[in-house]
Amino acid sequence: MGIAASILEAVEKELVRYPGYRAAKIGVRIGEYAGVDSESLRFCFEAIVKDSPLAPLELGIERRDGDELDLGSLELEEVAA
Amino acid sequence: MIEIPIEKKVLSENQRVAEELRTSLADSGTLSLNFIGSPGAGKTAFLERTLASLPARTQVAVLTGDLQTENDAIRLARYGYPVRQINTVGACHLDARMVEKHLEGWDLAGLDLLFIENVGNLVCPTSYDLGEDAKVVVLSVCEGEDKPLKYPGIFRKAELMILNKVDLLPYVPFKPDLAREYARRVHPEIEIIETSAITGAGFDRWLEWLHVRAAHKKASLKEAEHALAGTRSW
Repeated sequence: MGIAASILEAVEKELVRYPGYRAAKIGVRIGEYAGVDSESLRFCFEAIVKDSPLAPLELGIERRDGDELDLGSLELEEVAA
Repeated sequence: MIEIPIEKKVLSENQRVAEELRTSLADSGTLSLNFIGSPGAGKTAFLERTLASLPARTQVAVLTGDLQTENDAIRLARYGYPVRQINTVGACHLDARMVEKHLEGWDLAGLDLLFIENVGNLVCPTSYDLGEDAKVVVLSVCEGEDKPLKYPGIFRKAELMILNKVDLLPYVPFKPDLAREYARRVHPEIEIIETSAITGAGFDRWLEWLHVRAAHKKASLKEAEHALAGTRSW
């Protein structure tokens, strides 16, 4: 849950730099040895996103071999004025 | 639609605090160890025996994490060293900010050792850097030999594996050779020490490991001070 919350915080911080856009999808790279289960993370992420101002925000998970736990790219959509 | 790269660690804020802690502990020459293991692996008993066995002049402090209760802090405080309990109130791991907060008011200068006993869990604590010099994973012979294969993350990140409760080997079907093989399959360089907090078996080797690592940390501090003094005089 703490990791899911950290991802949302990072998205919120980035969004401040892009007024007029909403976050559509955030990518995360998870290594085999990161100590993070992808499905548990997805479950926690969806649980906290749905009641947040960021909903609907999709989580894209990319599995890697090492121990990394990194943010990848953030997809932004322009909000209709 | 636009796509922007973020390219930073998910736990970058935790990492930032952990690096600050690491710098503070380097400045004081304090060796910091993060003990991680399942609930019931014997982490607290292992630390109790360690505290009871340390040379009298050793300056050591302990942080111990649990979801609830002060029980472990009460046990560990009996040895006369400063101990603080961290209650995570639901969180299954310690993070760097909790450690930073619970170190407040302690003078790190002169502190030889800082032991951090993490919440009993082989998964989540793996991801959180606490500014430690090394993670130590504690596995007991009451668990399965295949824990290193089931939870490879922590066995890969730990520098040392304590195979604990070996006094129970005559009574349990645990195969130590297999556990060692599995641990080294995940992390070929991992050091392994077999211990019993009840009989004291293996503690001479563990204390030697601790002494060498602590001396190395102090030597790094002296080298840094020497270099600084040299720069000043030059």
